[in-house]
Amino acid sequence: MNTIAIDIDDTLNNYSEILHTTNFAFDENYNISRDTFDRYLEMIKNEKADRGDLLSAGFSFLRQKINGECYQSAVARPDAVEFMQWLRRKGWRIVICTHRDLRRTEEITRKWMRDNRIPFDYLFIAVDKLKFCKKWGIDYLVDDHLFSVRFADQYGVEVFFPTMAKHEGEGVRHSSLARGFTSFNEVRLWI
Amino acid sequence: MDIKAEWIKNFYSGLPRDRIKLETFGHGFDFLEKMSADGMALDYGELVLCKDLHKYKFSNVPEHGFDDMLLSHVHKQSNVCLYFHENANSLFAFNLDKDHKFDDAPDIPELTVAVNLLRGILSSLGCEPMVIASGKGYHIWCRLGSPERNDHLYDFMVRTMAKALHQLHIRGLDHARIFTRFYPDPRTVNKISLRIFGSCHMSSGLFSGILAENGLLGEETSWRAFEEHLKRKTIDEPVFQAAYKSITASS
Repeated sequence: MNTIAIDIDDTLNNYSEILHTTNFAFDENYNISRDTFDRYLEMIKNEKADRGDLLSAGFSFLRQKINGECYQSAVARPDAVEFMQWLRRKGWRIVICTHRDLRRTEEITRKWMRDNRIPFDYLFIAVDKLKFCKKWGIDYLVDDHLFSVRFADQYGVEVFFPTMAKHEGEGVRHSSLARGFTSFNEVRLWI
Repeated sequence: MDIKAEWIKNFYSGLPRDRIKLETFGHGFDFLEKMSADGMALDYGELVLCKDLHKYKFSNVPEHGFDDMLLSHVHKQSNVCLYFHENANSLFAFNLDKDHKFDDAPDIPELTVAVNLLRGILSSLGCEPMVIASGKGYHIWCRLGSPERNDHLYDFMVRTMAKALHQLHIRGLDHARIFTRFYPDPRTVNKISLRIFGSCHMSSGLFSGILAENGLLGEETSWRAFEEHLKRKTIDEPVFQAAYKSITASS
């Protein structure tokens, strides 16, 4: 059976756009000051990690809340929905492969997929999606992450990425097995 | 059934058996199809960075599927983690870790002192716990004779922990270096699972033994202590109610 692994955020949806354009409201229940909230929010928007050593940081709590809001508000790409439904009709096995903490977000992830009529067979968390594909014998990965774009050849996995500004900067290396696309129709032709 | 698997099944009989988190090196679509042959569903899987370990959350687990996974747990082929019931449970657990992101951070003296203080407080209330060394921290389990509301359990745990940390502070140790979690946590009750007794570190193979008052027990001694705890240290409802009343009155 043909199998493909597909990321969600910034691949099937517009997660980053939602993150950067939403006006997130301060909530006193976060138990952090307004200044700290603003600083943490800026870090989350810029994908910066908390520099502290402690587990019990308000940062990770806020990041969970902000991510949760974005996951629910993100808009599915129409061509991505069509592509996923095409995969289903053609009998592909579809593995959703994400960085999301599914322990806390499985329900909203499934609901979002259902609401957007996106079919799939399995949900997986993988920090290293290339390694996951290699271990599971999956030849194709659709993912925007720079690591996947850079190192696809080292794992022997064909990577298709939705072209974004982050893929085009000077010094951004693309693996010979990685191809950028503007429409999922291109991926349909390639596979 | 294997006697150790039987003990585990009895000890954790108050927790749901229809959902399970499995930690294993098993992977691949044939593996998943085999696991789900009897209607068991994969909610989600995970490949963790360390040593190709996989974690799977399964639901609709049939009784024999649960038994099979317990056997594989006892035989060290996997680790079983269990979830809590939505509203009431007859088990509760504290998780105490050093408050540090990285496992290789230096050990802190506060941790075992806090565990022993907590053990002392719980025991003085008639709720003798079973302390399991788990990774870089400890899981402290109490087993009740009948289910108790989750909000009561959570309230009880927060208050006993606060008392233990207060005593730690009085001894001149830094309570802020300890990271605590309580299970069942009403906010994450169907989301977060806990490794059960008999687990091994999947990479090192190191057994998570019981921490007795006189030190960490070896594997077989831990199993004997586990059996003993199951037989004699279940907390009857009136004892827990009195303990709850006492801790809420004093804090």
